Amino acid sequence: MFQPKLHGQAVVVLSNNDGCVIARSNEAKDLGIVMGTPAHMIQDIFLKNKVHVFSSNYTLYGDLSDRVMKTLASFVPKLELYSIDEAFLDMSELVYTDLHVLGSTIRNTVVHNTGIPVSVGIAPTKTLAKMANRYAKKKFKETGVFYAANQRLIDEMLEFTMVEDVWGIGSQYALLLQKNGFKTAMDVTKIPADWMRTNMSVVGLRMWNELRGVPSMEWEYEPKAKKNICTSRSFGKMTNNYAVLQEAVSNYAAICALKLRNQKSVCKAINIFIATNPHKTELKQYQHSITIECEVATNLTGEIIAYALKGLEIIFREPDYLYMKCGVMVLGLTPESVGQINMFDTKDRKKETNVMLAMDKLNRMMGKDTVRMAVQRYEKRYKLRAEHLSQKYTTNINEILKVKI
Amino acid sequence: MFSKIECMLSKNPSLSEVLIPYIHWKVPAGFPSPANDYLEERIDLNKVFIKHPLSTFIIECEGDSMVDAFIPPRSKLLIDRSLTAKSGDVVLAILNGEFTVKYLKKNDFKCWLLPANKKYQPIEVKPEMEFQVWGVVIYVMTNPNETKCLL
Repeated sequence: MFQPKLHGQAVVVLSNNDGCVIARSNEAKDLGIVMGTPAHMIQDIFLKNKVHVFSSNYTLYGDLSDRVMKTLASFVPKLELYSIDEAFLDMSELVYTDLHVLGSTIRNTVVHNTGIPVSVGIAPTKTLAKMANRYAKKKFKETGVFYAANQRLIDEMLEFTMVEDVWGIGSQYALLLQKNGFKTAMDVTKIPADWMRTNMSVVGLRMWNELRGVPSMEWEYEPKAKKNICTSRSFGKMTNNYAVLQEAVSNYAAICALKLRNQKSVCKAINIFIATNPHKTELKQYQHSITIECEVATNLTGEIIAYALKGLEIIFREPDYLYMKCGVMVLGLTPESVGQINMFDTKDRKKETNVMLAMDKLNRMMGKDTVRMAVQRYEKRYKLRAEHLSQKYTTNINEILKVKI
Repeated sequence: MFSKIECMLSKNPSLSEVLIPYIHWKVPAGFPSPANDYLEERIDLNKVFIKHPLSTFIIECEGDSMVDAFIPPRSKLLIDRSLTAKSGDVVLAILNGEFTVKYLKKNDFKCWLLPANKKYQPIEVKPEMEFQVWGVVIYVMTNPNETKCLL
């Protein structure tokens, strides 16, 4: 979209820390590059075939995804975001619309306006719609739309789809089904309900009903407040430096605290964990975690950082261990409106909360982490490697597209 | 006169956060402002210039091939992908893998990209070339104090 020269070339995108391949262009697929392959293992393939390698640029993807999702939202009364690049559109109320025409219009409008091509699958249930989307991608590449408008078309799609490619059937269940002679989604629809319930439980039964055209899944039009929040990352470089771990833990704790405030929850306990790299078996291994209960349920950044650092102090072992990852998790979330009182509480919670509100407002206006706790520091020594980042074309004025005219 | 003026961040899903000033009006005992009934929102440039935030992008250009169209070097351009380019529009286009900004000229038979500077030649878009209009240029932003006189 911003680099037209890449059209027709082999391109891959790497996961966090430039680890594994998480996206490939068709040309890269043709070279035999498999999804999930660690990048360091196929450097020679990249060099020999002049493969263009990129680090994940979630800032850019996030903005483009936002544009796509909002464009989609203009077509239907209700939609549910499923992932960064997928959404379910509720078309049940559009009784007078030609859905096939709508599907084409959606696809053409989205690619025209945002530059991102999407496929559209339309069917009576979510599971079937996901299948229709995949069917459209595989069999109707040019139009990119498949509307399973009647039972004949649904059956066509069910025959085409293998059990392992059905949404809701994981690899274990796929094996079970194949062992019992059920190979296609069509076969699954013919299985007796009792067998389903016994062998694949209530969840399997729900999927079975969905395949048979009975909507059995709920719609989540607004994301639910999370029950626990975890922020954890692997480090760019393994380290045994206590100060670096403190910096990382403080920053992850601050992220958790912000997420808590955004969903108006407080937490009752904090868990922190640190781990060495389990793949490097020649090095000493150590994984440990600790959960600390809060004296008073909180979402104040300073307080959560303090608990987290205390936990780190207890579980940190030196000097022979090289840590690869750490994380902070906040647990026992409750709405902040439910008051928490502790006789021995020494804090002026109202004042501290106002400080947090002011800090959050400033950070929203002036950029993430503009105002932060001193212990979070600036260097981000724990940051992930991202050596092949593309520009943030839509969120950073210094990284916009420059065109020679 | 006003006891407090605050800026509030709105949840406007546009390209950037939008500042909408409002008056936090605590009625003082005494004189009410005659301006109260006429208060309007301050001009918001996002709303003025960007009609379709989801399909609007910003780029910077280098080069002088469009100076006669009032696009000097190093100006920033707002591009809207949702508009359908008509003959005579200034467009951001891709020709054989390269971006360019030119006037689009087309009739039923042929298509050209025209510069706005006598130093440059029109480009005819031939069928064998890879050509695509990326978006229509809707506004040019430039700081006249930074632009050297090109006459």
